[in-house]
Formats: sequence, structure tokens, C-alpha cells
Amino acid sequence: MKKNKIAVLLGIVCLILTIAIIIQVNTIKRTSSTVSKRFSEDNIRDEVLKWKEKYDKETQNLDNAEKELAKIREEATKDDVTASALEEQITLNNNLLGLTDLEGKGIELTIKDDPNINTENVAILDDISNHLVHDNDLRMIVNELKNAGAEAISINDQRIVTTTAITCIGNVIKINDEKVSSPFVIKAICFPERMETLTRGGGYLDFIDDYGIVVSLKKLEKVRIPKYTGVISSKYMK
Amino acid sequence: MEKEKIVMSITISIVCTLLVAIMFAQFKTVEETDITGIESAREEELRTMLASWKSKYEETNKKLEETNEKIDEYKSKTASVEETTQLLNEEVIQTNKLVGKSDVTGEGVIINLLDNENSQIRDKDLLYLVNELRLAGAEAISINDKRIINMSEIVMVNDTILINTQRVSSPYTVKAIGNQKYLSSALSFKNSGYIDKYTSLGKTVNMTVEKNIKIQAYNNEKGLMDFRYAKEVKQ
Repeated sequence: MKKNKIAVLLGIVCLILTIAIIIQVNTIKRTSSTVSKRFSEDNIRDEVLKWKEKYDKETQNLDNAEKELAKIREEATKDDVTASALEEQITLNNNLLGLTDLEGKGIELTIKDDPNINTENVAILDDISNHLVHDNDLRMIVNELKNAGAEAISINDQRIVTTTAITCIGNVIKINDEKVSSPFVIKAICFPERMETLTRGGGYLDFIDDYGIVVSLKKLEKVRIPKYTGVISSKYMK
Repeated sequence: MEKEKIVMSITISIVCTLLVAIMFAQFKTVEETDITGIESAREEELRTMLASWKSKYEETNKKLEETNEKIDEYKSKTASVEETTQLLNEEVIQTNKLVGKSDVTGEGVIINLLDNENSQIRDKDLLYLVNELRLAGAEAISINDKRIINMSEIVMVNDTILINTQRVSSPYTVKAIGNQKYLSSALSFKNSGYIDKYTSLGKTVNMTVEKNIKIQAYNNEKGLMDFRYAKEVKQ
């Protein structure tokens, strides 16, 4: 009688334990194991690299094709006055769009995050964010350059074109959807003397300079601005 | 009899200990797999990157095909001046559109901004809006019929906003041509989107989605689109 009771009790305990184990095993199976996750991540990483390479290659091909087109266009129009006038218009438009490398008088402006930020004084500073260069600072500077008559602008070799957005996602600044980071080297083709107004007291550069952001302006006889490597599309406008 | 009982209880207790031990081992594994939450987030980031490179590649690929087609057309029509001129005209029209030298039409959004008693629209409000529109893929933008081109500035001098060195004032009508869905959803994200953000700052902002928007060409007697200092680099 007593023996039976014990046996039943033990049986129940064993059953519960077994069920618990089965549940556990199933749960683990569903949260696909760490190993397979790493594996698929590596796969995607390879894919990303592969497509980036493909893109780079295609950009090179496009670059060559555009040069050939420009040459053929020039060749086909050199004997005709009207035609060569049209050819000049196309070339000017492509220059304006930012699809060609440009060179000329100008400036090089470098701005850097406050170098005095370190682990010791980070707590003393009012707000660390004020000592870093933000996307908004870059937008303001680009706008000031345009206002001062700049003809072409690039930031860390990203050409500013009509479709360029300067944004910040997390703590990464992106221009033309490409990552850029401090120090920011801003080049502009312009009349260099006019650009001195940029560093005037009360101007935007003076304002961020007060926060410890390093600003330096160089006037140059020759600045080279690289072309935009993306595509300016017109899918929606007629 | 007594001996049998002892053997049996020892066996049972061994089995029980074993089962409990296995259960603990299992619990531990489950805890570890939870850490991979971070890694799956990185996987998502990788997927976005992948999609972005793919679409960039496709765009470039399409442009390359178009350029190659143009090369072939020029090659096949070298004999006739008229045909070459026609090809040139097509290219002039196409590039004028992109630069902003001609009127364009298409689907998109119109955003109205208005000064109110408490808050005035500032130059940086418009600058930020233009940036948001570009991020959402706007192909052409104008503010009060001033076309925003590559080198357009938006500045405030003595409480007056100047665009392309011309005065504009409230109400501001910002037109953008591009994918309607992208443009409108990017601006109307809850809380973080432009409209919610600026409305909560006390500004008067509203948006309408339109099928057929007309954006005027860049028009400024003072500033023609040309270069004085920049020259093309030809290798």
C-alpha cells in the first residue's frame, strides 16, 4: 500500500521533469542556434561586399562611357557652328550638375571635433554634444558657402549636388548616402577673398569655434573638386 | 528485501539528480542564445546596406546602358548633321531639366508654412525641410516659385528670407516632385517627422499630396548659371 503510493509519486515527478526537458529542447531549436546565425550574417556580409564591388566596377564603366560620349559628341559637332554651340551647352550643364571634376581658385576649410574632449573632462563640460561637429553644422556651412558665391563644393570628397542630403543616423553623418567623419575637409571653388566673410565675428564659423571646434581656412590658387559618382535621376519629373 | 529497497531508492535518486542537472544545462543554453538579440540587429543593418548597394548598382547600370545607347546613336548618325543636331537637342533638353533651366511637372507634395502670432518661419526651417525632401528622393524643389538648384542659398537678412538672392515671404509654398509615397511618409512620421516636429514647436505647417505639380525654371537676371572660376579637368 505504502510502496504503491511512493511509486506513483516518483512516476509523476519523473514525468514532469521529462516534459520540462522536452519543452526546453524545443525552445532552443526554435531560437535558431548561435552558430547558424553567425553563418547567415557572414553570408550577408559577403553579399554586401560583392554588390559594393559590382557597384564600384559599374561606376568605373560609366565613367569611361561618359568620357567616350563627350569625345564623340565633340568630334561629331566640331565642323558645325550650331551643333558645337549645343555641345557646349551640354558640357556646361554636366559641369553644373557636378558630373565632372572641376578645378579653380578657392578655399579649403577644415573643421574638427574639439580635441580637448577626453575621459577626464567629459563630466565637467556642459554638454559634450556642443563640442562635436554635427550634420546641421555642415548644412549651415554649405549654405554660407553658397551664399558667398561658391561654384562647386565637396566635403571629404563627396560632391554637393542638387540631390545631396546631409544627415545623421545614430552617430554617423552621411552625405550622398556615404559615411563621412571628422575631420571634415570642405573644399569650394570661389573667389577666395569673398570667403573671408565666412570667418567674420558673429558668423557661423565663429559660433562653433567658441565651442572648441577647430576651424581652419586656407585660400588656395587651385582647388580640385571631384565629380559626383552617383546618378541624378528624373524618374518622376517631366 | 531491505537491500532491494536501498538499491531502488539509490537508483531513483541518481536518475532524479541527472534530470535536474540536464534541466540546468538547458536553462543556461537558453540564456546564452538570448544574447544573440544584438547580433540579429546587426544582421538587419547589413540587410539595409545590401539593399542600398543593390539599388545603387542598378541605377548606375541603367545609366551606363543609356550612355552606351547614346554613344551608338552618335556613331550611327555622324553622316547627317540634322540627325546629330536632333540628338544634341534631346540631350540639352534632358540636362536642362536636371540643372533646373526648364519648367518640370510630376507627382509629389506641396508643403505650406505660415508665420503665426507665436512663431515665425526661419531660414533654417526651410533649409531643414529641403534637406528632408532630398533625403526622401525629391527630384525638383521650389520655394515660392524660386527653384532650388545646386548652388541655391536660403538666408535670412534682417528678418527677410532670401532665396537665389530674391526676397520671399510668408506664406511659403514648398513644392517637391518625386515619389509621392516616399515624400509624404518621410515628412509625416509620427513625432520624428518634419510636420509633427515643427507643429509641436508651434509652427504652422501642412502638407498636401498632388498628382500634377508644376515647378518653374530657375529665373534670376542677376545670377546666370555659369562659372567664373571653375574649369573642367580633362584627363
